[in-house]
Amino acid sequence: MSWYTPTGESNVTDRLDRWADPPLLVLASLADEPKHGYAITQDVAETMGVRLSAGTLYAVIARLEARGLIEPLESDDRRRPYRITMAGAEALARQSERMSKVASVARERLGTRLGWAGA
Amino acid sequence: MRAPLARAALALYPPSWRARYGDEVLALLDDSGGGPAAGASLAWHALPAWIRPPLHDRSDRMRASLATALMSWSMLTGLGLVFAQLTQLQGVNAPGHPELRWAYAVFDVTLAISALVAGLGGLPLWLLMLRRARREQRTRDAVYLLLPVIAPVAYLAALIVTIRLVGSANGVSQGWFGVVTLAGFAAAAAAAAGPGLALRRLQPRGPALRLAATAAGVSAAVMAMAAVAIVAAVTSLNLWARNFAGYHDGTVSGIYLALVVTAATVTTVSAARGTRAALAQP
Repeated sequence: MSWYTPTGESNVTDRLDRWADPPLLVLASLADEPKHGYAITQDVAETMGVRLSAGTLYAVIARLEARGLIEPLESDDRRRPYRITMAGAEALARQSERMSKVASVARERLGTRLGWAGA
Repeated sequence: MRAPLARAALALYPPSWRARYGDEVLALLDDSGGGPAAGASLAWHALPAWIRPPLHDRSDRMRASLATALMSWSMLTGLGLVFAQLTQLQGVNAPGHPELRWAYAVFDVTLAISALVAGLGGLPLWLLMLRRARREQRTRDAVYLLLPVIAPVAYLAALIVTIRLVGSANGVSQGWFGVVTLAGFAAAAAAAAGPGLALRRLQPRGPALRLAATAAGVSAAVMAMAAVAIVAAVTSLNLWARNFAGYHDGTVSGIYLALVVTAATVTTVSAARGTRAALAQP
């Protein structure tokens, strides 16, 4: 039937977006140097292709700061920069490692499959 | 002023959140231009910020939540006592509907447990602050802390005098009942505001504060059951008790229930936030 959707397919597709998890994007953006809010949104948009809205960005900053994964730096103006903490760097490293393994397996198997399909 | 919608959305956030991040968000809006999308995004994230505020200063969060929960708990208790005065104590019942009596019983038990838990849990903190106020000769803070005792005693004394002066064999007139009720709410507000102000001024920390915040969470959860009992009882009375519904129209009951639900919600949310801060890992 044309209206039939395989069970859970749309949910699974939606969940794939979690690779672009905003906390992860913010941590990755701060991994090299401290940045303030606008600089984070610019960096994430340019390097990772994801546009973070003001509400999302500050919800994430508040959460990461409360968990001690980032910390604010002193600032004379309203643009307060944040830097990643050691705990944040370790969390980002662990998550990157996991993602890297998944990406590696996915690339390898897709290559095999696509190679077979294309043959 | 740029991005007026986003700036308006920022007003939806809790004061502590705005104090911490407000300027930064405004700077971001100035840099990025804001727009309706930024406004919608900020508005969307405002509710979670109320439910789960960031815990930068756990003690500060516990103190703020305790002060709010104490005030709304007092208002809810006042509303509950008005309910008891107008129903249970008047012997209003709905024959053939035992659920009304159950609601009365649930209300009585939960109100007593909630008050007991709040009192026992808050007592060490109250004594700690009172000792400090006396030691440091902070008379104003000592008065604030004694308001939960002074205000109810003063109210009861005034109530006794008023009833003697204007009361009859049938009690007091409807007008005087209104005056006495409003004075009761004012006394409850004063009794709750005192410790709230002392919390803000004395800035206590430590185990006594955590105990009070945790007890407030338990007390609020129990009080929420009392609120449910009130809603069930008032609804039952309007449906099945003609001697009640004849004197109390639906509009009054509706306003009363809206106040009960609002007070219960504020109490529960505030106490939950304080308890979360108390139980969070340092």
